[in-house]
Amino acid sequence: MSAKQDKDEKDSESETLDRKELSKRRFLTAATAAVGTAGIGVVAVPFVKSLEPDAAASAASVVTVDISGIPPGGHITTSWQQKPLIIVRRTPEMLATLNQVTAMLKDPDNKVPQQPSYAQNIYRSRKPEWLVMMQVCTHLCCSPAYDPEKGSVTPTWLGGFFCACHGSRYDLSGRVMHGSPAPTNMVVPDYTFIDGEKSVQITGLEKKSKLC
Amino acid sequence: MKTILRIGLLAGAVIFAAIYGGTTYADEVQLQTPKYQLNKETIVRGGIFFAQNCLACHSMKYIRYNRLATDLGLDKKFITRNFMTPKGAEYLRAMKTAMPPELAARWLGATPPDLTLAARYRGTDWIYTYLRSFYWDPDTSTGWNNHVFPDVAMPNILFSYSGTVDDKGQVIKKASYNSQEYDQKTTDLIAWMRYTSDPSIIVRRQIAPYVIGFLVIFTILAYLLKRAYWRDVH
Amino acid sequence: MSDKRGFWVWINERLPVSGFLKASMTEYYAPKNFNFWYFFGSLALLVLVMQIFSGIFLLVHYYSSADQAFDSVQGIMFDVKWGWLVRYIHTTGATMFFLVIYLHISRAYLYGSYRKPRELLWIFGWIIYILLMAEAYLGYVMPFGNMSYWGGEVITAIIGAIPGIGDWLVSIVRGGPAFGGATLTRFMAWHVAFIPLLLIVIVVLHLVALHTVGSNNPDGIEISKKLNADGRPLDGIPFHPYYTVKDIYGVGVFLTLFAIVVLYAPTLHGLIIESDNYIPANYLQTPPDVTPAWYLSPYYAILRSIPEKGLGIAMLGLSIILPFFLPWLDRCPAKSVRYRPVYFVMLILLAISLLVLGWIGLQPANPALLPYARVALAVYFGFFILLPIISKFEPVRPVPERVRS
Repeated sequence: MSAKQDKDEKDSESETLDRKELSKRRFLTAATAAVGTAGIGVVAVPFVKSLEPDAAASAASVVTVDISGIPPGGHITTSWQQKPLIIVRRTPEMLATLNQVTAMLKDPDNKVPQQPSYAQNIYRSRKPEWLVMMQVCTHLCCSPAYDPEKGSVTPTWLGGFFCACHGSRYDLSGRVMHGSPAPTNMVVPDYTFIDGEKSVQITGLEKKSKLC
Repeated sequence: MKTILRIGLLAGAVIFAAIYGGTTYADEVQLQTPKYQLNKETIVRGGIFFAQNCLACHSMKYIRYNRLATDLGLDKKFITRNFMTPKGAEYLRAMKTAMPPELAARWLGATPPDLTLAARYRGTDWIYTYLRSFYWDPDTSTGWNNHVFPDVAMPNILFSYSGTVDDKGQVIKKASYNSQEYDQKTTDLIAWMRYTSDPSIIVRRQIAPYVIGFLVIFTILAYLLKRAYWRDVH
Repeated sequence: MSDKRGFWVWINERLPVSGFLKASMTEYYAPKNFNFWYFFGSLALLVLVMQIFSGIFLLVHYYSSADQAFDSVQGIMFDVKWGWLVRYIHTTGATMFFLVIYLHISRAYLYGSYRKPRELLWIFGWIIYILLMAEAYLGYVMPFGNMSYWGGEVITAIIGAIPGIGDWLVSIVRGGPAFGGATLTRFMAWHVAFIPLLLIVIVVLHLVALHTVGSNNPDGIEISKKLNADGRPLDGIPFHPYYTVKDIYGVGVFLTLFAIVVLYAPTLHGLIIESDNYIPANYLQTPPDVTPAWYLSPYYAILRSIPEKGLGIAMLGLSIILPFFLPWLDRCPAKSVRYRPVYFVMLILLAISLLVLGWIGLQPANPALLPYARVALAVYFGFFILLPIISKFEPVRPVPERVRS
C-alpha cells in the first residue's frame, strides 16, 4: 500500500519534469527542423540555378550579321537561335506599298507587342530601309516564303510573305493580313546596327513577343 | 571535450597533409612566395597590365569580359577601354588573342599557352619567381633565358621594370622603374592570375561567413536537442 | 486530425510504412554507449546522397568526349551559374567520403565489429570500400586533365599484369590501344550508372545485415544477451529518437567542416584537385609525379616499394583482399580493444604503418623512402598474418556483463 503511494508520488514528480522537458524538446525539435529546412531550401537555390542557361548559351544568343553586301532590294536569310531570320534592304517603291495595304491588315499599327518599341512603326524597324525580322509564321511556326514580286501570290499582291503551310499572308513589314489563320505580325527581334550599317547585331527577343 | 579534441586532431592532420602532402615541383631554383593582397584593386590592376602586355600572345579562354563586371564591380565602358585590347574582342565572349596559334608557333618558336588556369597548374610561387628570373642570354633567339624555365621561348616582357641582368645576376641595363613598382607589377599579375584560375574565390569569400555561421547555429541547436533527449540515458 | 490518421491508415493498408519505421527506428534498439566513432556510418550515407545529387547536376553540363571533357568541366567552373559550387561539393565530397569511411572502418577494427555474427556486414562494407575506390578513380578521370589521363593510363596498365586474361581485360577497360576517348565514355557509364547502382544495392544489404544482428558497441559485448521484462535489451535505447537526434548533431559538425573546405580551400593545396589536372590531357607529356589521390596513396606506396612488377601488383591486390578475412583471423574471445592491451598495440602499429604508407605514397619517387615503406608494408601484412596467433594467446582484461558508460 505504502509502496504504491511512493510510486504515485514519484510518477507525479517525474510527470512535471516531463512536461517541462517535453516542451523544451518540442521547441528544440521545431527550431532545429525549421533551421535545417531553411538551410536545405537555400542550398537548393544554386543547384536549380545551375540548370539555367549558362554564360556560353547567353553569349551564343548574341549574333552579328554582316549586311554590307546587300544591294537595295536584296535580302539575306540566316538563323538566330536555330530559327530563320531575314534581313531585307527595302527600296523606296517597296516602302511605298506599306501605306497602301493598311485596310488589309489585322494589326497595322503594331498594337500587339511583337516588336521592340523602336520598331513600332509601319516599317517595323530602326531605319525604314532595313527590315530585320524572324521569318517565323505566328500561326504554327512554319517559315513563310519571301515573295516581293508584285502579282506573284495573288493578282493584287504588292509584295510580302506567304506561308505555304496554311495560307497566312504578310506585307513587306511582316504585318499579317486579314483572312490569314496567323493571329499576329511576325516578330522583330532586338537589334542594333554596328559600324554604321556594316552589320546588325541581334541581341534577343522582346519579352512579351511570341514567335508562334 | 574529448570530441572537440579529436576533431582538432583530425583537422590538424588534414592541414598537415594539405601543406606537406600535395604535389610540388622541386626545382634547383628556390621559389619565392609573392606577398600580396588578393582584392579587387590588385586584381584589376593586374588584369589591365595583362590585357595591355600579355593578351597579345596569351589567351585566357575561360574568362569572358562580361564576368569582370559582376566579379570586380567594373562597368562595360571601363572593361572595353582597358581589357578588350585584341582585335575582334567581344564583350560576351572570352579573352582570346588575335594571334592564330599556328602562326604564333612559327613566329615565336612555341604556341604561348592559355594562362587562365596557370596559377593552379604552376602555382603562384612558380609564376612569380619565373617572371622575375629572366636573364640576358645572347645564345637564344629572343636574347632572353630564364632560371626557372630554361630555354623558354618567351621574352622578358617586364624588362623595363626588372632591368637587364646576366645569368650571374650582374646588371647590364638598369630598370626604368624602381623596385617597388617592379614588386607591385609582378604581385598584381599574380593577383590577377590567381583570380582567373578560380574566379569563384570572390563569391566564396563573400558568402563563407554567412554559410559557416548558419551551420554553426544549426549545429548548436542540434546539440541542444540531442542533450535534451539524452538526459534520459545514463 | 482524423483525416491525417485516416490517411496513414490508408497508406499502411497498402505499404508497410509504420511497421518498417517501428522495426528500423522506433523499436530498433541500439547500444546506449555509442561514442565518437559511431557517427561515421550515417555520415557516409549522407555523403553518398550528396555525391549523387551533385553528380547529377554536373552531368547536366558535362561532355564525355576526349576533346570536350576538359572544356566542359571548365565551362561548369566558369560559365554555369553556381557551377563552381556544384563541382567543389562533388570533389570535396569525394575526399570526405574517404575520410568518413576510414574513420568508420577504424571503429570496426577498434571494437571488433567484424566478428561473428557480423562477418557478412563486414564483407559488404569492404566491398563498398573497394567499389568506392573504383568510383573515385573513375571520377578523377572524368575531367580528362593531364593527371586524369596519366593516372588512368597507369592504373589500367596494372590490370594487364593479371596472368592470362590481363591483356584482354585491359583492352575492354580501355576500349582501344591506349587510354583515350573510348575509355572516357565507358568510364562515364561506370562512374555515373553502374557503380552508383551497385553501391546503393550493397549499402542497402549492409544496412539490412546490420539490423538483422544488431549493432556492436565500444565494449564489444552483445546487448541482446541481457533483456528486461519486456524483452528489450537492458543496455539498448530506441534508435529513434536518441540516435536520430545524435546523428543530426553529427551532421551539423560535419557540414560545418565541409563548408569550410568548400568555401576556403576547395583544392586543399593539391590534395583534392592536383595541379597537373589543370591542363588538358597531353598524351606526350607525363607529369613529373603520377601520384594518385591521398585516399589511394597507401596502396600506391605498397606498389612502389616492390621493385618487381608482378610481385608489386600481387602485394597491392593482397593488401586490399586480406581484410576480407579479418572476421576469421581474429580469434580472441573479447571483441573490443578496451579489453585487449596487446591488440591495442597492434592497432596503433597498423594505424602508423598506414599513415606512413599514405604519406610516402604522396611523395615523388624517392629511393631514400623505400626502406620505410617496406617496413610499414611488413607491419601492415604482419598485423593480418600474426593476428590469428596473437589473438589466441593474448591477455584479455575481464569483459563486463553490462556496457560501460
